[in-house]
Amino acid sequence: MPVVELNINRIRKLVSGNVTRKQILDVLPFLGLDIESEEGDEIRIEYSPNRPDYSTDYGIATGLQGLLGIKKGIQKTPIRKKGNYSIKVDSTVTKIRPYVTGIIASNGKLDDVAIKQLMNMQEDLHAGIGRKRKKSSIGLHDADKISFPLTYTTVSRDHKFIPLNGSTEQTINEILTNTDVGQNYGSVIENAKNVPIIFDSDQNTISFPPIINSGLTTVTSNTKNILIEVTGMDKEAAEDMLSVVVSILQTAGFEFNELKITGNKNSTPQLKEKTMIYDPKFTSEIIGIEMSPSNMVTCLKKCRLDASVKGKKITCIIPRYRFDIFSPMDLTEEIALGYGIANIEPKLSPSTTIGQKNDVTIKTKLISQTAVGLGFLEAMNSSLTSKKVLYEMTKRDSSQIISVLDSKSQEHTILRDSLLPSLLDNLSKNIHESYPQKLFETGVVFSKGKPIDESINLAIIIAYKDTSYSEIKAIMQSLLRTNFKINSETKTSKNNELFSKGRHADIFVNEKKVGEIGEIDSNILENFRIRTSVVGFEIKLSGLIFD
Amino acid sequence: MSQVFHDIEKKILETLQKVPNQTPEQLSTNTELSIDQIRRGIEWLRLKDLAIVAESQKVTFSLGPNGLDSLKNGLPERKLINMLKDEPKTFDQIRSALSGAGFNVAIANAKKNGWIKIEKNNSESLVSIKEKPIETPEEKLLSFIGEKTILQEQISNPLAMKILLSRPNYIIETSEKTKTISLTDAALSLDTSASSSGAIDVEADVPSIFAARTHPLQDTIDEIREIFVNLGFSEILGNMTQSSFWNFDALFTPQDHPARELQDTFYLENLESKNPATSSQIKNVSSSHNKNWKYDWKLSESQKMVLRTHTTCVTIKHLAEQKPENARIFSLGRVFRNEKVSYKHLVEFNQIEGIVIGNNTTLRDLMGIQKEFYKKLGLTKIKFWPTFFPYTEPSLQTMVYNEKLGKWIELFGMGIFRPEVTKPLGIDKPVLAWGGGIERIAMLKYELDDVREFYNNNLSWLRSA
Repeated sequence: MPVVELNINRIRKLVSGNVTRKQILDVLPFLGLDIESEEGDEIRIEYSPNRPDYSTDYGIATGLQGLLGIKKGIQKTPIRKKGNYSIKVDSTVTKIRPYVTGIIASNGKLDDVAIKQLMNMQEDLHAGIGRKRKKSSIGLHDADKISFPLTYTTVSRDHKFIPLNGSTEQTINEILTNTDVGQNYGSVIENAKNVPIIFDSDQNTISFPPIINSGLTTVTSNTKNILIEVTGMDKEAAEDMLSVVVSILQTAGFEFNELKITGNKNSTPQLKEKTMIYDPKFTSEIIGIEMSPSNMVTCLKKCRLDASVKGKKITCIIPRYRFDIFSPMDLTEEIALGYGIANIEPKLSPSTTIGQKNDVTIKTKLISQTAVGLGFLEAMNSSLTSKKVLYEMTKRDSSQIISVLDSKSQEHTILRDSLLPSLLDNLSKNIHESYPQKLFETGVVFSKGKPIDESINLAIIIAYKDTSYSEIKAIMQSLLRTNFKINSETKTSKNNELFSKGRHADIFVNEKKVGEIGEIDSNILENFRIRTSVVGFEIKLSGLIFD
Repeated sequence: MSQVFHDIEKKILETLQKVPNQTPEQLSTNTELSIDQIRRGIEWLRLKDLAIVAESQKVTFSLGPNGLDSLKNGLPERKLINMLKDEPKTFDQIRSALSGAGFNVAIANAKKNGWIKIEKNNSESLVSIKEKPIETPEEKLLSFIGEKTILQEQISNPLAMKILLSRPNYIIETSEKTKTISLTDAALSLDTSASSSGAIDVEADVPSIFAARTHPLQDTIDEIREIFVNLGFSEILGNMTQSSFWNFDALFTPQDHPARELQDTFYLENLESKNPATSSQIKNVSSSHNKNWKYDWKLSESQKMVLRTHTTCVTIKHLAEQKPENARIFSLGRVFRNEKVSYKHLVEFNQIEGIVIGNNTTLRDLMGIQKEFYKKLGLTKIKFWPTFFPYTEPSLQTMVYNEKLGKWIELFGMGIFRPEVTKPLGIDKPVLAWGGGIERIAMLKYELDDVREFYNNNLSWLRSA
């Protein structure tokens, strides 16, 4: 989950109404925000990816005002059609990045802290709903440095301009190779011969989406009017992103002017609210509290939505930036938040069902109990293990290996098809502990099937100088006899590098092979640096004591 | 405290009370105990401050081959005198009678003793007796030692011994360390008969033995399973390997969602599920995605096999297949995340997840079940906070106060399945869902601050946890 660093005094100022520090800290969790750490006036807050508006103190302040009852309901976003701001879309972008949307935020002022927060918010939006800039990406520009109208088109890769934070002109190719953003996001435009670009009417490069802005239009604390442009693969997703930035800049004190968009399936964004009419009975049934519709309306308003009772239904107005609200269930959550989760009393209804463990669990437990009775300590190992332990050190057949892709941990790359290798690894890590060492494990092993078969195995291992094949065979037979009355036999088996030659066997129950048993070969023990005798067995419990 | 003595200790005490200062060998003879038993007994008594062990060096002397020869035939200088008794002899005559080195030694010592005089006559040296040779201290010492072994303390003329020791192979000197055991004052006055025979030191330390046991994490898993069963939940099992369809698509996670990327989820190399679900399930889920998330849903993406990232895929599949009217079920097992392993994170851990469908399925009921669950775990100070999960709405998390850490800790999450999840699968009623990781709870129980400890199988921990 993304984290944002904020100053509590700034939040207090934005919320206004003389709220105390404590009030703010107490209410934050009830907006769904986790306070990760608190150092002096600086707090780190974790927010959910479905609420990107909570990535700045403006968004959080808007939420807090609602729950604290300082300001309720929607903040409307009037868009003036003043000025002559427009952008024309050229058809060449269709194949590479077809949509652009945007707006002009005017007559505002951002201090350095606010600019930094906006930049961080931009990155979080890119990572989250922008899907690493692939789906949509955003650019903020000083509108006063731009001559309108703009053109959204494509250029060849040798086009040159001075990128943001750059000092000299660079070609598209140079930007893609030399800058961090170029390296990180260059893959979004793949190998396209021509790349997306926004020019102004003086043919100045404004932006090279989704990679980098031009240095010309850098937003600073002196900027009064901002052009927000969002490009992307999906018009709706681009407008989602735009709406979040608009809501934040509005709280920061900006007004909005329309940016006319024409050409090629593109259109001027309306950022219209969504209206949802629904039956309040649903909410009462879900939360479990009888609540009057007017009470629900109050709760919705506290969550910065608008609502009114019409007949038996509630009409709810949802601002554009709350695109996380899909259905009445989402409104129910808003009502619960507005009501205050702390005010909802838990209720314990008697169960009308009788609980039961699964047969597999019950029988596996019986096996464990017998193993403990026989003096074995239970080990637990990961099902995801390494090729080294599973196949190389044990010299086992790896032709049916099941690997995962791109594991971040070398020790966890292969799904185990046997439990014994990890138990040997456990012995190897405990050679300084006193002997005898006796371990058992029950767990899932994997094999290729349709597409994968999972079964539960039992493995047992004994290590000390005087242990022998006879001891492990006696243990194995006792384990199967106890509770399950299974008679097992051992039959000479063909050579197997895990075990000593002539000292291992296949385990048979009712003429069917269910496992292997034997003395572990000295070469294998050497691989694990075990300096004593080890015997062990492994059997498949699935199909033997349960299906 | 009335002292209890082992029989060995008792015998040693009694013997030493009669004869103080004995060597272990003497004690062995006097008590008829083996030397090994004596050594052990002495050690016990010493640790109890009852015996004093004094170590000393014992030096003994006996005659070597030259000494034994001299005992029989006299020292070389005596042999010389005997030869000269009748008349003086020349060097050549003496040399032929006293073979080898004996000549030089005999001449030198006889001269030193003042027994002989040597006159030069032409080229000959003639040796004659000067005065009557009396018995020397060395000769006295030789006959005192005789064929016996003598303690150093018994030697009355150390100078003679020094001289004999300087002559090769006359004296064999041996030295060995000996222990002399004596009793402390407290032990001297002990009445050993007061301690009853057969009693042992019941306060003494004994070697550790370790109980065979189930794994501590397994114990926690079993305890939590038991609580779910007591709350009326029945256990269902499901595979750890799942198609993306059940792990993600059925749970309304869009196909381009970051959680579905390789860097968060383990995909299985070259493995896919041909028919992950029924055709109507696929059709409905696909249209829910297309409509709500506004993108082009792809079957191929849903066929990719993954290691489940939660147990919810098992419960939702059960619901879609069985469509129970009224049920409480749970699923417990390993789940996987492609993360860097650290003291906080594992790639594989245990999760439990319960769902309720049918009667009493309000948010308040869900909170009530949680409260009861924590109560059974002994956790009573709890509160609920809103949170976000992709497939539940509303979503809450439980915060539990930990007295030891002095802070609120996030434990299980809960929520009501989104209609966007349940409707396409033909489930019309609200479904409560709750659960979380078990290792977190086990860490609190066993006071661990490194979650990896559970899977290290470190015997010293398993044997003592």
